[in-house]
Amino acid sequence: MTLIRFKASQEQDVDLSRTYDAVVVGSGAAGGMAAHVLTSQGMKVLLLEAGKKIPIEQELRSMEWPYDHPRRGDAPPGYHAISFNEYNVRQPPYAKGSAFKHVFSYVGGWGSADYVKNILVDEKDHPYSGTKYAWVRARLLGGKTNIWGRLALRLSDYDFKGKTHDGYGEDWPISYADIQPYYDKVDLYLGISGHKENLPHLPDSLFQRPNKLTGSEVKLRKSLATMGRTLTPYRAGVTTDGVKHNKYRSKCFGRGACNRRAGGCDIHAAFDSPTGLIYPAMDTGNLTLRTNSIAHEVLVDPHTGKARGISFVDAQNHRTYEAKAKVVVLAASTLESARLLQLSKSRQYPNGIGNSSGHVGHNFCEHVMGPGVTGLVKEMVGAPPTLDDGKPGGFYVPRFRNLQDKQPGFVRGYGFEGSSGFSIFPGSAWGTPGFGGQFKKSVREHAGAFISMGGFGEVLARYENYMDLDPELKDAWGIPVLRFHYEFSDNEKKMCEDMATTAREMFEQAGVEVVGVDKNILTEGWSIHELGTARMGTDPKTSVLNQFQQSHDVKNLFVVDGSSHVSASCQNPTWTIMALAWRSCEHLADEFKRGNL
Amino acid sequence: MTLSRREMLQATAAAMALPLVKVPLPVSQALKFFTPAEFAVVDELSDMIIPTDPQSGGARAAGVAAFIDGRLAESFEPEQPQRWRAGVKAVEDLSREMSGTAFMESTAEQRLAVLTRMAAAESDPKTDAEKFFGEVKGATIQAYYTSKIGIHDDQQYKGNVYQTGDYAGYDAT
Repeated sequence: MTLIRFKASQEQDVDLSRTYDAVVVGSGAAGGMAAHVLTSQGMKVLLLEAGKKIPIEQELRSMEWPYDHPRRGDAPPGYHAISFNEYNVRQPPYAKGSAFKHVFSYVGGWGSADYVKNILVDEKDHPYSGTKYAWVRARLLGGKTNIWGRLALRLSDYDFKGKTHDGYGEDWPISYADIQPYYDKVDLYLGISGHKENLPHLPDSLFQRPNKLTGSEVKLRKSLATMGRTLTPYRAGVTTDGVKHNKYRSKCFGRGACNRRAGGCDIHAAFDSPTGLIYPAMDTGNLTLRTNSIAHEVLVDPHTGKARGISFVDAQNHRTYEAKAKVVVLAASTLESARLLQLSKSRQYPNGIGNSSGHVGHNFCEHVMGPGVTGLVKEMVGAPPTLDDGKPGGFYVPRFRNLQDKQPGFVRGYGFEGSSGFSIFPGSAWGTPGFGGQFKKSVREHAGAFISMGGFGEVLARYENYMDLDPELKDAWGIPVLRFHYEFSDNEKKMCEDMATTAREMFEQAGVEVVGVDKNILTEGWSIHELGTARMGTDPKTSVLNQFQQSHDVKNLFVVDGSSHVSASCQNPTWTIMALAWRSCEHLADEFKRGNL
Repeated sequence: MTLSRREMLQATAAAMALPLVKVPLPVSQALKFFTPAEFAVVDELSDMIIPTDPQSGGARAAGVAAFIDGRLAESFEPEQPQRWRAGVKAVEDLSREMSGTAFMESTAEQRLAVLTRMAAAESDPKTDAEKFFGEVKGATIQAYYTSKIGIHDDQQYKGNVYQTGDYAGYDAT
């Protein structure tokens, strides 16, 4: 079947002599949303993206069969992905001294590296130092939204008012009621698939049609309901019914391609920032895009102390340029925005711009992963093959800990992501012993009978977890890199023990035969949900931004990405990043029009 | 894991029922890494690991050894092709030790005995031949279940299609 593709708007000529209304740094979920909201409010915006613009459909080739690829999906010789073991036995920078031509984060090792080899950054060009950390970065138009995991969840007041609930950390300067209208806007503008559950701790979105469950998942859902827990179809940031106002995106045809690889959707049914936000913004005539533009300093007007633009290095010719703007919006990602703030040292801001609190780079938080369970659903053994993987994801089990109860070993909670049934590759073959006809038959009969799930837990925001600039090490463009000072605490470790225990219990209760329980914690960073290096708050002494992601110190400087989050919650952050950015940029445009910036 | 005694007897009986076929050297196959003799051993091992059965062709039909040959020829790390070359030699040594003949010169029964010995310590391999079993099996699994025969004939995979109407599966009720 043929889908009509619209050619994306062309990059416009960038006139660096003019002063734009706003310059946005970064084109992922946050930067794309800033571009969308500000241009729709009539502001003239320059969007700077550090990476390149590539013909993404040609990279992803979503429907290509493994046997039609010369290496069955592997990258050409000389590409290497860092393994779990390497992350743990070595220190960053992981690519230092490597004989390989290109080194990727672990995502490049998922057996389909050829489809992401031009999306993930080469660790050789982008080193970092300090404590061990699996930092996954994608430098191209759209950033990580080109390959994101698609699970699109809302936070609730259990998250925004976490301190009120359990005494730990800080409350957010907003409540669910403040952000709920913006979650709705994101749902309607981009499309989201899911099933209503009416849970106070995981508010429903304005869902398009949900993904379906497998027989094994229905069985587990019914059993969990008797325990007061929920299994819900994957809430995917994917348009299953289509978004008629967007000509760049198709609805989802359940091809399942996104799950066979590191991610990505060549018909853009899964949200990505370029087709979902940036191309429509360019069609307004108000957006100018410059790729290959590596921001390394927020420029300051020495007279007013306000931000006056961005200094950036062209990734290809290595020359430095200035982009002038009345408002500066950072959306470079949690870690890159923190790096950029710290790089922006001046006479007025000797600790980096927006950092009078000393909290930039601190209070880093994310999700801890690793513990999980695999089970065998006996009645599915020998069942004829069915189409089980034609969807953006399997299922989600929302948090159930520390809502009404109070766990003795840890605060906050965790959820599980899982999947089951037949897929394009019978992964259980790796663990099936022996060889010959028996082996082959066993693999075939068991291929659709496994179900598994793994936890995503809240890592507490702690001041002592932070990133600063390495005094020596620089990237390929001569820019100082981040140095990590970060490790999991006892709360995360206790939480992970509980994850493994409850995962097993839930499977056993459902009559699923447990064949494996994983208790190992994956390397810091594994979840790719880094948050909280420039947190919002009401007190300028202990926070970097106000409730509109506006710098306490510099009123025309905004940071609209995950760095603003006060706590990680245990829900995947992308939808919240976009809802917050929408809210803040609406406020920004209002203030801009009033002349208050 | 070792095969149980009963499974071993079944496997042996099945092997003995087959006529001893000398696998022809792959003259038509343009080898990129293996010598013809090495290729024959890897091809035979892969097809013993995933043989043809009533449902589908096996590893030989799926071209598993040729795929492995191509990958090893372009391997960036020199250790990997060296491991395979040494592994095939370990199989030959084991075969001569057990039956006094080269692997491909021995009977199907003798070859099965060699592979059974190689697989005997699958979860904790010690000897070179035991370690090579994991290498051959892993590569065979990877190549076979990504092949046309593996995906369509054996697994009868239903996905990678456009679902234009309802999605397959069950509602959350």
